[in-house]
Amino acid sequence: MDGLTIALPTGRLWDDASEMLRRAGVALGPAAGSRQLLIECPGGVRVLATKPTDLLVYVEQGAADAGIVGRDMILEQSRDVYELLDLGFGACRAVVAFPRDRAEALWQPGRLLRMATKYPRLTARYFEEQERPVEIVVLYGSVELAPQVGLSDGIVDLVMSGGTLRANRLQEVAEIATSTARLVVNRASLSCSPRVMEFVDALRAAVSPTVSTTRA
Amino acid sequence: MRGRRLRSGRWRQVPAGMRDQTREDVAARRRVEARLHEVFARWGYSEVATPTLEYLDTFLRAAGPAFADRLMKLVDTGGEMLALRPEMTVPIARLAATRLLPGGAGPLRVSYIATVFRGQEAGSGRLREFTQAGAELIGDGSAHADIEMIALAAEALQTARPHQATISLSHAGFLRGILSTLSDDDAEMAQDLLYRRAFAELERVVPAGPALDVLRLVPALRGPDALERAAPLAVSAESRAALAALRVALDGVAAHDLGVRVEVDLGLIRDFDYYTGIVFEAHAGRVGQPLLGGGRYDGLVGRFGHAAPATGFALSVERLLEAGAVVEAGRATIVMRYPDDRYGRAVRVARRLRDAGLGVVMVPVGAPHGVSDAACTVTIGDDGFDVSANGERAGGESGGLADRVRSALEADEWTA
Repeated sequence: MDGLTIALPTGRLWDDASEMLRRAGVALGPAAGSRQLLIECPGGVRVLATKPTDLLVYVEQGAADAGIVGRDMILEQSRDVYELLDLGFGACRAVVAFPRDRAEALWQPGRLLRMATKYPRLTARYFEEQERPVEIVVLYGSVELAPQVGLSDGIVDLVMSGGTLRANRLQEVAEIATSTARLVVNRASLSCSPRVMEFVDALRAAVSPTVSTTRA
Repeated sequence: MRGRRLRSGRWRQVPAGMRDQTREDVAARRRVEARLHEVFARWGYSEVATPTLEYLDTFLRAAGPAFADRLMKLVDTGGEMLALRPEMTVPIARLAATRLLPGGAGPLRVSYIATVFRGQEAGSGRLREFTQAGAELIGDGSAHADIEMIALAAEALQTARPHQATISLSHAGFLRGILSTLSDDDAEMAQDLLYRRAFAELERVVPAGPALDVLRLVPALRGPDALERAAPLAVSAESRAALAALRVALDGVAAHDLGVRVEVDLGLIRDFDYYTGIVFEAHAGRVGQPLLGGGRYDGLVGRFGHAAPATGFALSVERLLEAGAVVEAGRATIVMRYPDDRYGRAVRVARRLRDAGLGVVMVPVGAPHGVSDAACTVTIGDDGFDVSANGERAGGESGGLADRVRSALEADEWTA
């Protein structure tokens, strides 16, 4: 009965996340994550391969005890989970960007902006804090396209190297948040399952082998 | 056109986060609710009820403006903002401060079972209407009151015997004492992160020092030896007092022999910021969210004009049902068939059975009865009646019921 279910995000964090899991003692098979979505590992550990946007629901509702997810998702979704560890990989930044030739003119205080983004709540919160009026266009694909065809004035999106922005002639004007991969844990699992805390400690050791575990 | 088609089919659905409840659902819920009423009554808590709607101001006064986002609101005919109650502690604090405490002798022990409403986002998988059962002890600021509330919460939990239930205890003063050693700005940011349970973010916000060293360890400060491990980390008098209060509570709770695991979890952070002292939550193995939560809220009642220390808890009846194994078959129902010219006799027989506590559905011979799980059939004839048990299990539940029917009826000659 005392199994452990861990949710991992498919996509850009998958490789680093499964490597980190391996260092914490959970080995995934080679086919994991591509087709196979529910992976049984030795020692009663189950790994779920979920979309990054879905991962926090699994953990919040207790379908998974723990999960690895970008901080961008945590900020966007405001789910009721414990965010316990910064795993260090998957670094990226959420930024506001506009077409290079109009960036300065558009980013004037008080100007109503149409912003295309996959992060509507993060965007709304940031513009509210900045006291800038905004209309948000929610997209699920490549938001860089939107300002080039007049769908929006600018975008709010994640950047890693900035290469995509440059290729689409966009210029960053503000940083909203920085993100790295985080370990999130279900509230009840933390209380009811001793294996979860062991897993947290194993992962903490895997992140920074020199630092001792949480046990004081 | 598409919009119109969508709207016209909406009557088939109920609003997001709301549920229809079928016979079995309601039967199981009523069973648990009846047990909860019984537990509360045995501990001397009397039930109160407040309106489903309150003025929005009532909740904002109690819990601050940020609370408004979590409410379902509507506008009254006069333009006032109303809110569906999101929980019962605030309405009861209002009731106590304005009606019950003035002129009365404290302390008050009150309980409730009530539907509450939250403005959760659609698609979040959370209910927007659910049932809370709870108790409040108002006017007693002692450790005895804290212990009583934890013990009562444990007993309320046991009404559904949830699998692997654990009650976690903490004290709002422990973290408050640690945050008080930080600058106001740092404390505010750290507090915000703690409410969001973003422990991984603390290191970026809180400057290195004794406070950060403690905050970093907080999620792991749980379990049987948590108080011992926390003792050297209590960097302020308030934190030390909190640990001492937890020790007293743990010892007091141990005397109750509760049958539920109770342990300290200093990483426990309650969602409402009106808590001031001992706080607690219960979890069970199969449910990802707390089954119940509560604690001491000494400042809240005073916000409604009559200061009084108080403690209480609220239990989610839906989550308790999910965690436990309450199977409620419902009352066994008898189908009574009668020929048209024997209606008078049939009514007399039915009355007799109903008085004996049995459920009876009356239908003319040959008509459909609509009872999916009829336990037995009584057929009224020209000279007497015939009783037949349904189902194969002779001597089982149905057979036993048939015998009860016979004995209820055969005792009297008037049925003949």
